Amino acid sequence: MKLKIKKEKLVMSITIGIACFALMLVMFMQFKVVKQTDLTEIENMRETELRTELSTWREQYNALEERYQEVSSKIEEYKTQSESNEETTKLLETELAQINEALGKTDVQGEGIIIVITDNGGTQLDDDTTVQKITEQDLLLLVNELFAAGAEAISINDNRIVSMSDIFTIGSGESSFLQVNSKRITSPFVIKAIGNQSYLESAVMGNGGKAYELQELGHKVDVQRSREVKINKYDGQISTKYMK
Amino acid sequence: MIVIAIIIGCIIGALIGLNAPIIPYTYSTFLAIAVVAALDSVFGGITSVLKKNFDLTIFISGFFCNSILSIALTYLGQKLNLDIYLAALVVFVGRMFTNLTIIRRYYIEKWTESKKKKAEKAVTQE
Repeated sequence: MKLKIKKEKLVMSITIGIACFALMLVMFMQFKVVKQTDLTEIENMRETELRTELSTWREQYNALEERYQEVSSKIEEYKTQSESNEETTKLLETELAQINEALGKTDVQGEGIIIVITDNGGTQLDDDTTVQKITEQDLLLLVNELFAAGAEAISINDNRIVSMSDIFTIGSGESSFLQVNSKRITSPFVIKAIGNQSYLESAVMGNGGKAYELQELGHKVDVQRSREVKINKYDGQISTKYMK
Repeated sequence: MIVIAIIIGCIIGALIGLNAPIIPYTYSTFLAIAVVAALDSVFGGITSVLKKNFDLTIFISGFFCNSILSIALTYLGQKLNLDIYLAALVVFVGRMFTNLTIIRRYYIEKWTESKKKKAEKAVTQE
């Protein structure tokens, strides 16, 4: 009888112990969760407050998202625009460079010929003939021939021949002198031309060529072929006053 | 012996509970309501012991069934978007207070009776 009671008591204490164990386990787990979840702000807020807060945040998020989309599309637009702008800029730059080259506003170099003419004007060849001075006509014809033979750039005594260049004789008789680009030039005349060497040479030194003619007339003419003829840029101002 | 079992159970439960992994905050409501249900059962058990009609089977079944049922109700409330756990909380806490009152009254009555008896004894001795 006594043993039976003891057994019953044992079962009872074990079950109560298990119950206590379960209770404490759950309680401490809960304590820990509450302690760890230190979201005091959120805990202190009512659910409705949180809801409104959430909705305002969502609205803000949506607005910002919209703004972001707008801005990114704009950026994309600008990017494509700037790309096309760059292309135009490049195109314009190359065009400008070409135009400058054609106008003679840049130093250029390339294969060509160098003609050196020494004026022997006034020397007596024989009793009857006297060598005539080199005139503007001679130089003009020479330049014209060179251009006709495909010269891309020409200079006389380092004065670049451009569309506005002038070749002119100032004065008359013995005291006259030549002027290119409004600058006085004297013998020897160094005429540089860039272009096909053989074409240029044959054009001026061939039969009927101006240089050949000058040589025949008694001037000293020297024609050199060169791989690298350097021609300086036109150093005057290209300004227009009446062109509009 | 029962006291030893209670103490050992409490200590082991506390230790394991402190080292248990953290459950998400969302589910902490379920644990809380289970704790309240279990505490209610404990006070009910103490009251029944005092009233001398304690039954272990009823106590244990009430202990676990109430906890599980309250969790189930809370879950249902979440699904219905209705705070059913508040109703369970009101019932459990209300019952806890009733039981606590009964326990308090029992011990106070016992104390006053013993005081009276002492006084009577003193009177008879004189």
